[in-house]
Amino acid sequence: MIDIKHVSMKFNLGIEKEFSIKQAFVNLFNKKNRKKKEDFWALKDVDFHVGKGEVVGLIGSNGAGKSTLLKVVSGVMKPTKGKVDVHGVISPMIELGAGFDGNLTARENIYLNGAILGYSKKFLDSKFDEIVEFSELKDFLEVPVKNFSSGMTAKLAFSIATIVNPEILIVDEILSVGDIKFQEKSKKKMMEMIKGGTTVLYVSHSLDSIRDLCTKVVWLEHGKVVKIGDTNEVCDEYYKAQMN
Amino acid sequence: MTKVKAIFGNFKRYWFLMTQLISRDFKVKYKRSVLGILWSLLNPILTMAVMAVVFSHMFRFQVEGVNYIVYLMTGIIMFNYFSQASRDAMTSVVENFTLINKVYIPKYIFPVAKCLFVGIDFLLTLIPWVGIILLSYVGLGEHTCYINWYYLLLPYIFFCMLLFTLGMGLLLSCLSVFLRDIWHIYGIVLTLWNYLTPVFYSIEILPPKLQFLMQFNPLYQFLTAARTIVLYGQAPSCQTLLILGALGIGMLAIGSLVFKKNQDKFIYYI
Repeated sequence: MIDIKHVSMKFNLGIEKEFSIKQAFVNLFNKKNRKKKEDFWALKDVDFHVGKGEVVGLIGSNGAGKSTLLKVVSGVMKPTKGKVDVHGVISPMIELGAGFDGNLTARENIYLNGAILGYSKKFLDSKFDEIVEFSELKDFLEVPVKNFSSGMTAKLAFSIATIVNPEILIVDEILSVGDIKFQEKSKKKMMEMIKGGTTVLYVSHSLDSIRDLCTKVVWLEHGKVVKIGDTNEVCDEYYKAQMN
Repeated sequence: MTKVKAIFGNFKRYWFLMTQLISRDFKVKYKRSVLGILWSLLNPILTMAVMAVVFSHMFRFQVEGVNYIVYLMTGIIMFNYFSQASRDAMTSVVENFTLINKVYIPKYIFPVAKCLFVGIDFLLTLIPWVGIILLSYVGLGEHTCYINWYYLLLPYIFFCMLLFTLGMGLLLSCLSVFLRDIWHIYGIVLTLWNYLTPVFYSIEILPPKLQFLMQFNPLYQFLTAARTIVLYGQAPSCQTLLILGALGIGMLAIGSLVFKKNQDKFIYYI
């Protein structure tokens, strides 16, 4: 389903400075100390394959390149080197509610956010009630989202994002959404999707949920793959490395 | 051919998102205002009234042989469309960075949606505009503007202006990702452009040299073509119509090429 072939991703840390007139002026007189371009490789030669129906967990410390990898797979970023082949429709759940407009009501936001995720109007019309019911926000449909609590916003976003049965699901740390009741509900929903044969790429810092859900784990560190393999084995090793 | 098909397929796929973005803009714009969408009609009338008082009474502007109020209003609504749409489109990509950074969406959708949104607003302003023209029959202003068959050419003129504005919007939104200074510069450019375009004056008051240079101002071309029809009841020449088409398509081509070439780099400049 997903083929990640020798993917490298370069960021230029100096990019902010390069563009100010002040820096250009300083550079003009100070040729020796001219600020060198600081290249930062967020991903270095990452290479693995995700088969149909696999649930792959991504682990690693902060800044290891997990989110960058998800962005490359979902098409938000183009890799500097290498190639990503994706066969199937992707539903990205990277940071919920990014597409909400606070001034609009929940009802209006369901349509706006749905459109951003690539759903059609017909589809949204038919699934509208289901989304509302799952989000438990029936009484707040006409309230502008800016007046929602963060938990309510997240619930709504989760309900919209999971209403499809996507072939590939990309999830960045979202299972800890809402109150305990909703957390259980959303976990169940995820399990349902996984059992339904959805391929999942899952980023989380919670090793428990990784152990629960994943069939395979990829451990990233400084943009490089440290280890790929059996969930428990990689998780144990990662835990040990983190604790030392 | 397949490429063209792919572009249109893409367009169709994201059309719903486009309509959602446009309706969002409408909802946000008129939220909590009592008169709501009526403002789209009132605004041009009131602006026009202010300018009419200032220019025809205080500065005694006149344009020989035509209804000055209609002359003024035609200029205002057309120039306002261009300035509003190109400015909104310019900031649209940067303003939606959070979204671009999270979900894959074709990025051109933001400037295009803005140009269409302001376009709908423009169509609404045509209602009071027609109203003013009809009032000229009953004695508003000194000359009557007769509605004629050449009005059928107006949609073509407006469409060319839309294409031109789209091209401008794509170009500016792309450049401003890399150089935020564009926002400030363009504000000044628009003010200057406003005065260099005969919105409230006639080019006859300019020295011959400037009159010649005016030919190279695309907005002058759009305004003049529309005014030829509305004020003089004549059809613009074939040559003019071709120039308008070329301006629209040419600007759109430049804008989309620059945008397409650079859009993958946007993500690094967030």
